[in-house]
Amino acid sequence: MDPTNFSRRQMLHSCGAGFGALGWMGAMANQGLADAAAESSSPIGVPHFPARAKRVVFLFMNGAPSHVDTFDPKPMLAKHEGEQPSGKLYRESKGSGYMASPFRFQQYGESGMVMSELLPNMSRHADDLCVIRSMHTDVPNHEPGLLMMNCGHLQPVRPSLGSWMSYGLGSENQNLPSFVVLSPGRPVVGPQLWSNSFLPGQYQGTSVDTNDLDVDRMVSNIKHPLLGKFEQRQQLDLLQALNRKHMQARENDAIFDEQIRAMELAFQMQSEVREAFDVARESKETREMYGETPFSNSCLIARRLLESGVRMVQVYYVTNKNKQPWDTHSDNDNQHRKLCADSDRATAALLTDLKQRGMLDDTLVIWGGEFGRTPYSEINKKNEKAKPGRDHHHTGFSMALAGGGIRGGLTYGATDEFGMNAVEDRVHVHDLHATILHLMGLDHQRLTYRYSGRDFRLTDVHGRVVQELFV
Amino acid sequence: MIRFALPITFFLLIPTGLFVLQLKADETDSAAFFEKRIRPVLVEHCYECHSASAQAIKGGLRLDTREAIRSGGESGPGVVPGDLELGSVVSAMKYESVEMPPKGKLSESVIADFEKWVADGAIDPRDAESVPPLAATSEIDWKTASAFWSFQPPKRVALPSVESTQWIQRPIDAFILAKLEAEGLFPNEAADRRTLLRRAYLDLIGLPPSEQEVHSFVQDESPTAFQDRVDQLLASVRFGERWARVWLDVARYAEDQAHIVGDDKSLFFPNAYLYRNWVVRAFNLDMPYDQFVRLQLAADLMSPEDRENWVALGFIGLGPKYYRRNAPDVMAEEWEDRVDTVTRGLLGVTIACARCHDHKYDPFPTEDYYALAGVFAGTEMLNMPLDDSVEAKDGHAKDPDKSMHVIRDQKPRDIKVMIRGNVENEGELVERGFPRVLTGGERVVFKKGSGRLELADAIGSPNNPLTARVIVNRVWGQYFGKPLVGTPSNFGKLGERPSHPELLDDLSVRFMQNGWSLKWLHREIVLSATYQQSSAIDFEKQESDAANQWLWRANRRRLSVEAWRDSLLVASGAIDYSFAKGSIQASKATDVRRTLYSSISRFQLDPLLVLFDFPDPNTHSERRSLTTTPLQKLFAMNSDFMMKQAEQLADRLIQLDVSTNEDRIHSAYASIYSRNPDREELLLGLDFLKEGSDGKRQWTKYLQALLASNELLIVD
Repeated sequence: MDPTNFSRRQMLHSCGAGFGALGWMGAMANQGLADAAAESSSPIGVPHFPARAKRVVFLFMNGAPSHVDTFDPKPMLAKHEGEQPSGKLYRESKGSGYMASPFRFQQYGESGMVMSELLPNMSRHADDLCVIRSMHTDVPNHEPGLLMMNCGHLQPVRPSLGSWMSYGLGSENQNLPSFVVLSPGRPVVGPQLWSNSFLPGQYQGTSVDTNDLDVDRMVSNIKHPLLGKFEQRQQLDLLQALNRKHMQARENDAIFDEQIRAMELAFQMQSEVREAFDVARESKETREMYGETPFSNSCLIARRLLESGVRMVQVYYVTNKNKQPWDTHSDNDNQHRKLCADSDRATAALLTDLKQRGMLDDTLVIWGGEFGRTPYSEINKKNEKAKPGRDHHHTGFSMALAGGGIRGGLTYGATDEFGMNAVEDRVHVHDLHATILHLMGLDHQRLTYRYSGRDFRLTDVHGRVVQELFV
Repeated sequence: MIRFALPITFFLLIPTGLFVLQLKADETDSAAFFEKRIRPVLVEHCYECHSASAQAIKGGLRLDTREAIRSGGESGPGVVPGDLELGSVVSAMKYESVEMPPKGKLSESVIADFEKWVADGAIDPRDAESVPPLAATSEIDWKTASAFWSFQPPKRVALPSVESTQWIQRPIDAFILAKLEAEGLFPNEAADRRTLLRRAYLDLIGLPPSEQEVHSFVQDESPTAFQDRVDQLLASVRFGERWARVWLDVARYAEDQAHIVGDDKSLFFPNAYLYRNWVVRAFNLDMPYDQFVRLQLAADLMSPEDRENWVALGFIGLGPKYYRRNAPDVMAEEWEDRVDTVTRGLLGVTIACARCHDHKYDPFPTEDYYALAGVFAGTEMLNMPLDDSVEAKDGHAKDPDKSMHVIRDQKPRDIKVMIRGNVENEGELVERGFPRVLTGGERVVFKKGSGRLELADAIGSPNNPLTARVIVNRVWGQYFGKPLVGTPSNFGKLGERPSHPELLDDLSVRFMQNGWSLKWLHREIVLSATYQQSSAIDFEKQESDAANQWLWRANRRRLSVEAWRDSLLVASGAIDYSFAKGSIQASKATDVRRTLYSSISRFQLDPLLVLFDFPDPNTHSERRSLTTTPLQKLFAMNSDFMMKQAEQLADRLIQLDVSTNEDRIHSAYASIYSRNPDREELLLGLDFLKEGSDGKRQWTKYLQALLASNELLIVD
């Protein structure tokens, strides 16, 4: 146990700091900072060490993209096409053996990073991207896979990455939530993926359905159903006058002042939130660069939010009709063609946009899904005419990172020659989390929260910071 | 413990004397081999996690001394000189058992070096003195362990003597006053009658008093005026509704699951409300708390014939069911939920910590955890048919809509320790039983069926040092804004110590002596002078005790989301008190039953509940956090719910058979704050209402402001 942690908690109680304040206090690195912060009532973030990234955008390809069709070329699959994979499989192969990717891979940029033809726009950013080819996770099922990637645990009672980050760093903009989830439709698992769980409620991700771009419908309670700004101000003036009168009769107890200030802040937030979420304010060129799909609109909103000081934005690649479009159990090739076309354009536009605004250096961009897909085929037994797909695959897959202190042009780690298992410089999801937190200035071993009698961490008892990825 | 004894035994089996003699000749060479080929690899690839300098020593295994590498960790000895089969280090390097180092397999030549080194006797020139060996998990000295304050039975002590005896109304007051006097403080005056009544109403029934009720109380000159009101409130059916929610937080009550695969609702609890209603009734009937607890764990075993209280089993039966259930690792997670809810919820101890290792601070060895988990391993979740007409298979209702959600015994079984919580790493078999420190160090083994009834009896027993203290402390916390023990679900070493230990003990003992009656406890607290103090801040007292640790005043408190929403519905007149089937959506403007009846989702909690610190129903909640956020205020300013209440009240006031706005403002203040406006408030209102041409619109705006005010939100 960290003895300073205990005394800090006692100190807080004796200072009468509210329970809510404990959250970000718990993450503080030393007593001096905690003392200083205890006097201030707004949650400020205190990183453990200098941060390379100030904000994160996580583009989540729900259903799991195929690594051998995107970032991890495997010529051996063509050579051994149709052979059944050897070795221990999580579950029996349901198909006709190894299946080569029909997509052409080639080198891009000065770094010579190898990428598939499915990513023509992202490949122009090859020298900004870092691809980890040696990702692995614990289970090839969506629900636990999603929970692991988002919350670091296979079961649903842990705070999410974004919640941990908000808890550790607070918000850059008091008028906006620090963790926003943009999801045109609902991903599998759903709200648990952005849950604060046992962290205080203010660290929960604010989720927004981006199908409807009308801001007042997108963000709940952001506009009065009847009153315009002027009328609402009048109403608020009356309310605050009554509140102040009430407070003055009660020794100006701070409990009232806190409420009065929150009310004032809420009034200010309305216009700022509406502006931040409003893509209609973007130029025609920008809208065109991103594209006009639900995912690309979400990416554009993400940029606006990051620019306004939101700490973490997570964009889920889902639609109204499909909670996991990337789950290509059949017709893998054509589906990947379509999905990549959309995702590639929007992701590349986001990278370009961030770069043009000078934000890429301190914005960490993450692209990937809950795991990868099998290098061997899956045949739909009920519909033999259907083209082959690929099944879930967790022992080796790829993720792409960019910006925020990441070394561009780096291809890190490797799977074996068939893309079956990560074999070189393996990176578990816990390691990825430790690395993300590190880039944000947080030590994954010190970012803890005391709950149920013990100190919890995003990375549990695991996690290695993959220093090799850093600039 | 046996698993730690094993490696030593193996080590001793090797005839060391002979061995050393034989190797003496080339020891120097072997030491050189170690330095050149072995030590650098250990330093580079292993020490990060397996040495004294590691942040956390993984697997209990250290490799940085000769002693440590040989005695090994949780997977047995690290290295057994001369034996390649027995040590864990080489097999891990070969990725045969675990895969070490995790970053990537070492080269074949390095592994060959290690094999040679072990085969040659694992000569290790490192001296043990360099770092002290890991403290072995020693046997717990139960006598010392059970001397910790919370494991000692609560005892009554003589009431402390105090100077200002005239202040004392209940025994509680003597304990509070003694501390205050010792600290050089003194209590506040009693709160004024209006404040006191509002406080008592909101605390006891979760609703504000009406203007008439306030008026009659203020006028009542009888010496028992307050006591009479308290007794009325305790007898009200609203009392159970208010306090049931406190229990439902403890029980992590919910109606569905966090994991929903497709539209599969088969793991949902459509009739969860039956359990909720049972809790309301139990509180209203003042069911003795020991029985209340026992029924929730074992109603079916306590009264096999009479099913009336079986729905109480929802305490366990409404627990989370996880995706891929029945897989061993998933069931292990579910058992943890049951153990955690029972131990933190009812006993205030964190035994779930001991799932992966002996509890680091409290005397709960891993065996204690598995002894309890074994009880739940012998049960199953059951949708029990509501009556005989419901179609069932093996006792499970085919249609969950026609069932109640309970548990029942399956084949009883003991389970094995899972080393580091890993289902594939089995340790010793543990007999089901009760944590030893709570039974004076004796291992009490459960023998009947799953052991549920014995568990229920062990918890609901006057000899249990924790059960009464834990519930008394929870109830106290509701009245004063903070419990006597600041960590209500952790009475262990890392929990806080009670601010008033004798008071907690005295109340706990008398609570049991009074038949575990919760209504007795509520009455005892509410009738104390301590509770009836004003919340005014005296700046001198504030200087010496800013946190009000010694209770020289009442604490002003923000209402819970339940009391706040219910107060709004009372003010608008929309509230519906029916004790009906099913649940409502708290944030829906037209759902006007009490907030207790909200649908509680593990998947997606109602947005209003989320905003106001409602706890995550996936796990037991120790206490609610208390945040003040602009998002809460956006709800108050802009939500349909608030608008609807304001509109409804506006309609009512406009239709009133009175002629002036002044009269209407009086009515509004009566409805919302149970009082009259003063002159300034009246003028502010009249002034505001003059504006605008649309009367109803202006009235709605005005009333919404009153509803969103601090006066409605915070209780003095």
